[in-house]
Amino acid sequence: MAVTPDSAVFWYGCNMTRHGEVIRTTTRLLEAVGMDAAPSGGPAHCCGSPKDASARINEGMAKRTIEGFNATGRETLVTWCPSCHMNMQDSMAPVTPTNFETVHVSEVLHARRDKLRPLLKGRVERRVLLHAHLGFNGRVPVNAMIPEILLMIPGLEVVEHPYRAPGHMCSAISAVPGALADAQRATLAAMAETGADTLCTIFHSCHRESVSLERQGVGVANWIHLLAESLGWPAEDGYKAWRNAADPRAAIGEAGIAAVGELAYERFLDAELRKKPTI
Amino acid sequence: MTLVEHIRGESARLASLCTACGACVSACPMTPYAAGVAEAGPGAVATGMRDVLRDGPGTPAALAWIAACTRSGVCSAACPEQLDAAFMMRLATWRAKGALGEAPKIPVKEDTQYSPKVKAFARLTLTEEEQAQWL
Repeated sequence: MAVTPDSAVFWYGCNMTRHGEVIRTTTRLLEAVGMDAAPSGGPAHCCGSPKDASARINEGMAKRTIEGFNATGRETLVTWCPSCHMNMQDSMAPVTPTNFETVHVSEVLHARRDKLRPLLKGRVERRVLLHAHLGFNGRVPVNAMIPEILLMIPGLEVVEHPYRAPGHMCSAISAVPGALADAQRATLAAMAETGADTLCTIFHSCHRESVSLERQGVGVANWIHLLAESLGWPAEDGYKAWRNAADPRAAIGEAGIAAVGELAYERFLDAELRKKPTI
Repeated sequence: MTLVEHIRGESARLASLCTACGACVSACPMTPYAAGVAEAGPGAVATGMRDVLRDGPGTPAALAWIAACTRSGVCSAACPEQLDAAFMMRLATWRAKGALGEAPKIPVKEDTQYSPKVKAFARLTLTEEEQAQWL
């Protein structure tokens, strides 16, 4: 894999806005390994997949996104979301010409991990099971690369287990009745079998769906959170705290609710934050 | 080229190469969640999926399988013709959802709150400066 250095767009996707600290920390990690990556995401930079039932609308959204990236003149597009990454390769770039190379963030950090290694000084005493899916790994070997990055953290242990959840990330299986619950039960069984104390998520939707497993007595952290912990960088997982709070509104606090807007909080966020755990 | 042309062209190309042997169906971890697939058998389900790629109606079992696809990708590794079966399923999903303008053959779930929800979370987790630069 060729990684073009220095100038990139960090395409974090849409639903990552739940995890601002992950966007911020990942940008900082890329900078630490020598890549100036401008974060870009949200609905204005959509891959088009929310409109899969209309190729015409899907194409319009995707085209706008590519034209925006082309206009930056940056030679590399660093992706976070496996869905965005696959859509870029499968349906976006074949239709709208691109002037950048698409690589996943795990590829960049793995290829440049020697620059990261000396920065990982803080011990993280955790026994970690990677939350691995079957999908996407065939395109980008995340299930091998991310443990290799994590193993540079002093004190951290990555346990091995053959279980792989179906799909490319949990948002996909959450749409199929019964599939997410089955996957979560299998994941907890794998953790018990291996003695893992922390489930390490790779992708945002897996993190979103897994954080409530902390109520089952296990830790849940994204791989970026674990790196931040070792680096001593602040990366508080607000979303996890809100999802597991008895009263999410109180956990967010008045200033946070004011930032979102009272009506928007009630209409768009409250139900998700109060959603019962899948299992 | 438009996305419609891309979907049509790739559907026709891959359908012409697919032998509907059913190896992709047999390998799929999602078949337990797709009604009728076990009863129909892998070859019949693959034939139904290929029919969808060829503008056909498919079969109930094939449509249930398409609807249950979560992009696990193991179908590609299982294909004896070395086709990108995962992309075939992506194409079949588009077709079954009515992406080319036909009536949908499988349920279409669109989150109408998707965009405002993404923006509302951004206001909660990103600074105003970050929102201005990153969204």
